[in-house]
Amino acid sequence: MSKRPQAALIMSANALLDGAVVYYAAGGAWSPQLADAIVAVSEDEAGALEAARAAAEASGAVVEPEILPVGTDAAGRIVPSHYREKIRALGPTIRRDLGPQARGEHDHVSL
Amino acid sequence: MKLLDRHGWTTSALVPVPLEELGDGVALAVGNTQDLEALRPLLGRLALIAIDFPKFSDGRGFSIARGLRAAGYKGTLRASGVLIPDQFAFALQVGFDEVEISDDQAARQPAGQWLHALSLIHDSYQQGRDGTASILARRRVVA
Amino acid sequence: MYRYDQFDAAIVRDRVTQFREQVARRLDGSLTEEEFTPLRLMNGLYLQLHAYMLRIAVPYGTLNGRQLRQLAMIADRWDRGYGHFTTRQNLQLNWPRLADVPDILAALAEVEMHCIQTSGNCIRNVTADQFAGVAADEIEDPRPTAELIRQWSTLHPEFSFLPRKFKIAVTGAARDRAAVAVHDIGIRIVRNEAGEVGYKVLVGGGLGRTPMIGKTIRDFLPRGELLAFLEAIMRVYNLEGRRDNKYKARIKILVHEIGTDAFIARVEEEYARLDGPSVNADPAEVARIAAYFAPPTYEALPPVSESFEAAKARDPDFARFAATNLFPHKMPGYTAITVSVKPIGAPPGDATSDQMRALADLAELHSADELRITHVQNVVLPHVKLDDVHEVWSALVEAGLATPNAGLITDIIACPGMDYCKLATARSIPIAQAIATRFADAERQALIGELGIKISGCINACGHHHVGAIGILGLDKAGVENYQITLGGDPGEQASLGERLGPGIGADAVPEAIERLVETYLEIRAGKDEAFIDTVRRVGLDPFKNALQPKEAILEAA
Repeated sequence: MSKRPQAALIMSANALLDGAVVYYAAGGAWSPQLADAIVAVSEDEAGALEAARAAAEASGAVVEPEILPVGTDAAGRIVPSHYREKIRALGPTIRRDLGPQARGEHDHVSL
Repeated sequence: MKLLDRHGWTTSALVPVPLEELGDGVALAVGNTQDLEALRPLLGRLALIAIDFPKFSDGRGFSIARGLRAAGYKGTLRASGVLIPDQFAFALQVGFDEVEISDDQAARQPAGQWLHALSLIHDSYQQGRDGTASILARRRVVA
Repeated sequence: MYRYDQFDAAIVRDRVTQFREQVARRLDGSLTEEEFTPLRLMNGLYLQLHAYMLRIAVPYGTLNGRQLRQLAMIADRWDRGYGHFTTRQNLQLNWPRLADVPDILAALAEVEMHCIQTSGNCIRNVTADQFAGVAADEIEDPRPTAELIRQWSTLHPEFSFLPRKFKIAVTGAARDRAAVAVHDIGIRIVRNEAGEVGYKVLVGGGLGRTPMIGKTIRDFLPRGELLAFLEAIMRVYNLEGRRDNKYKARIKILVHEIGTDAFIARVEEEYARLDGPSVNADPAEVARIAAYFAPPTYEALPPVSESFEAAKARDPDFARFAATNLFPHKMPGYTAITVSVKPIGAPPGDATSDQMRALADLAELHSADELRITHVQNVVLPHVKLDDVHEVWSALVEAGLATPNAGLITDIIACPGMDYCKLATARSIPIAQAIATRFADAERQALIGELGIKISGCINACGHHHVGAIGILGLDKAGVENYQITLGGDPGEQASLGERLGPGIGADAVPEAIERLVETYLEIRAGKDEAFIDTVRRVGLDPFKNALQPKEAILEAA
């Protein structure tokens, strides 16, 4: 029996000190760069990611960790699937001078 | 005397006394949905009422305590369950005498934190703990 | 306006110390995030999409120049140089750092301000009519009442862990500009037959998932009984409000589920039991507070200002501003200016720190050092001589705050929406910008007249869309932003909730849809004096529903 294809998943949260968007990266670190996010593809990886989420929530090292689905673009870069997460990766769409977009980050992401 | 229930002989630690001999020193545990009216006739006989706080965000116990004090209850009031030090002043202000928390929580938030939290806000717009006057009342004195 | 005495000042100072320590305990782990969250919320600190958000209390929307200048400094020093005026008369900063917040609170305390209870399951900022003290139809200035309620509700030991948030509004005029009918408790100042002033008390109004109009539970409450009666209401709510479901936890649900009569009976029973004198403020305290709201010293001026009339005749732009943004003042020769914070194409309600400083200067020079934040996200300068209006307007022009659109179609309320807010299901600000840009032409706006568009980026309705003459609700439909349009809402004394016009449409289609609704109105209105909301009330929804058909035509035109 074949399993349903697993959506690719990453984890994101907000940093405790300044509330900035961060992504769960290798070695349990949290990075502001989407490209650093660990991508869970298999069911086992998704399970490990969920366990990491629960641990992050319990430890309080970051605020409101969440698992979210992603895809990849033609160049293989991680792109969040939902528009909410695209906005989180960029910054307010009505103030291009604020958020990661102002520093030219995540410019492969667009709504 | 022997005690029987539907399964056969049994025992009990409870010893009934006549109503007129019902002494002081009875300690009662109530949930935070307890109806005040049911307790009203017992208030003179209770030495302790412990009100459950299942979550610190569930503030019903504060109103129950207020209601019990307003009904004339003079015994000890205990907030029992989950509270945080930042609520201690509020608890005392509405009429609690004690807070009872888990060992884990007490380890993470030792007594010093609780007592310190009491010292942080000096005055209150509402009637204070131990009956101290509210700011509104104290202004009458100052004016 | 109210000035702190030593007690008020001590409370906000103590609160700063308390929060500083709470932040330290969060950072050292002795407070978990779960424990810290309600504590930071009770100091106005939210977590949003991109950063924390700090909501600063502006009690009943009133502040002075020094306070506004301090807000500007705070925005510059600890944020990104701007703030957002909210539908509850507060100010929000969108980028504070957690460790800086105690310093921000300390800076606020220096000017008698705070963030106490601007969020959390407690009693929130008490709001009032932005034209308090100047409106001719006023029975009594609602702000002394609002200030009394503010003090009574601050750090209330019994009511700081309610089932849900609690919002109170007060109006003192015949026309309700404070939307009291859609608040948890709404208070109308009224006169009885003997001419005494008292309160009509409404309970259970609210917007959000299940919008409801508040029910009258007392037609006339004597002035001296206010706080005790409010305590009775709060006690019933605290004990019996639902705590099993966040979306069913407001007092409006309790009133709805047990019935208005049963609710009134509960409150009256509790009220009869409680010790009024230990709660109520005595008349001396009420008078002490009221004295702070005595009107400024007005000059005796003629009702018509020649220089004002001449300026209008000279300058058509000024004349247009004067036609839309001035509110009739009860004192001859004076006016209240609505400063629009809705420049065409800009995020509604956002002001830069420079703009705040400009407004502070104008308030000090020309408005008896007083400003009001309105819950339509604008600012009022309440005591301006007609003689001075042209000078004020010129300064507003320089500051980019002279848009002549008060109450018009481009004076749009929009919540921050998904550009900022974690709860949002869609963006709201770009919709507001697109509509405003579409209707930018000043003459056309004047032709259309009064029309309140209110946009919410989710069902929580912080944009008050339910009470918009045109309401727009942004939702997520299969991963795409989708907007439902409602019609016929009104927040005032004839409060009504809008009704849906049809299925949702895409963002690009919204301006065209609004265009259709406006055209329909212009065609069928009974003359220029029939405002949009009145036409809707007269003819019903059908002509407007039909105007939005066929949907495809709207999408093509978009």
